[in-house]
Amino acid sequence: MGKTKKTPEQKSYQKLEKKHELKRPVGMNCLKAFLVGGLICTIGQVLTYFYIYYFNFTEATAGNPTVATLIFFAMLLTGFGVYDHIGQFAGAGSAVPVTGFGNAVISASIEHRSEGFVLGVGGNMFKLAGTVVLFGVFAAFVVALIRTLLSMWGVI
Amino acid sequence: MHMTSIGIRVLVIFCIFVGLSGCNQEQRSAESRYSLLQTTNPDPAIMESQDLKKSNIGAKVKEEVLSLEEVYDVAIVKGKQDILVAYKVKHLQRFRMKKIEGRITKLLEKNHPKENFTVSSDYKIFLEAVELKEYMDEPDYSEAKAEKKLQHIIKLKNELT
Repeated sequence: MGKTKKTPEQKSYQKLEKKHELKRPVGMNCLKAFLVGGLICTIGQVLTYFYIYYFNFTEATAGNPTVATLIFFAMLLTGFGVYDHIGQFAGAGSAVPVTGFGNAVISASIEHRSEGFVLGVGGNMFKLAGTVVLFGVFAAFVVALIRTLLSMWGVI
Repeated sequence: MHMTSIGIRVLVIFCIFVGLSGCNQEQRSAESRYSLLQTTNPDPAIMESQDLKKSNIGAKVKEEVLSLEEVYDVAIVKGKQDILVAYKVKHLQRFRMKKIEGRITKLLEKNHPKENFTVSSDYKIFLEAVELKEYMDEPDYSEAKAEKKLQHIIKLKNELT
């Protein structure tokens, strides 16, 4: 659908709307997101060192249990209702790290719990997180393909 | 009321975490405990059965690796056939980790063509190498055990998942 020209009424309404619209504290939101997101990543780094130090994981392999642990704790916190508060405070800072994935899975499950375990929870669990899984797998496939081709041609 | 229930939940998670960390059974000595955080630069560890001429190779390899300005900490373990070289790279140089690994491997293979090197910049491998060196310093730690542990470290280094 192409853009249609706005009528004078629409324009004046837009002006009025702008006058009354609350200004979003973008800078503050960014700062909060940065701090909370950074804190989550720091916890992730601590977990990585924990797995390297106490278990048989190297730097290359410690990422897997770290991600699993972060998602697990995010799921627990979502179930307890704590993650909602974090999300409200930090916005993207809590949604972008991998903990946001755990939150998306569990919040969708909780929302559809009343529709039953199979069609409700099972069917809707990946309603939000499904896109992450799909595009994540697809992006990984593309990157792996490029890497394979480049190493086959001897570039890397 | 609400705050206390959140507090209890956080406490439950904390307990799970502490419980998980209790799974660890290993006891580490002071040097290997801090080797993850600070520069240790341990002496090269050489297994006793190696002849004296060869035992000098550890110091040589260490000197060669440390001559690269990106590297600041090196641990070397010489086994029966393998030489394990674990090193730490200066933080801002970690972007070029692969290149540095390639350079070190090339350098060592050129200077010591008969030796079989395993080169790694992984913290875990460094930690294990320092620990193995400390075990080897103990008089009752047999060479067979040391070789077994060295092979375990090399296997760990090659693991991808």
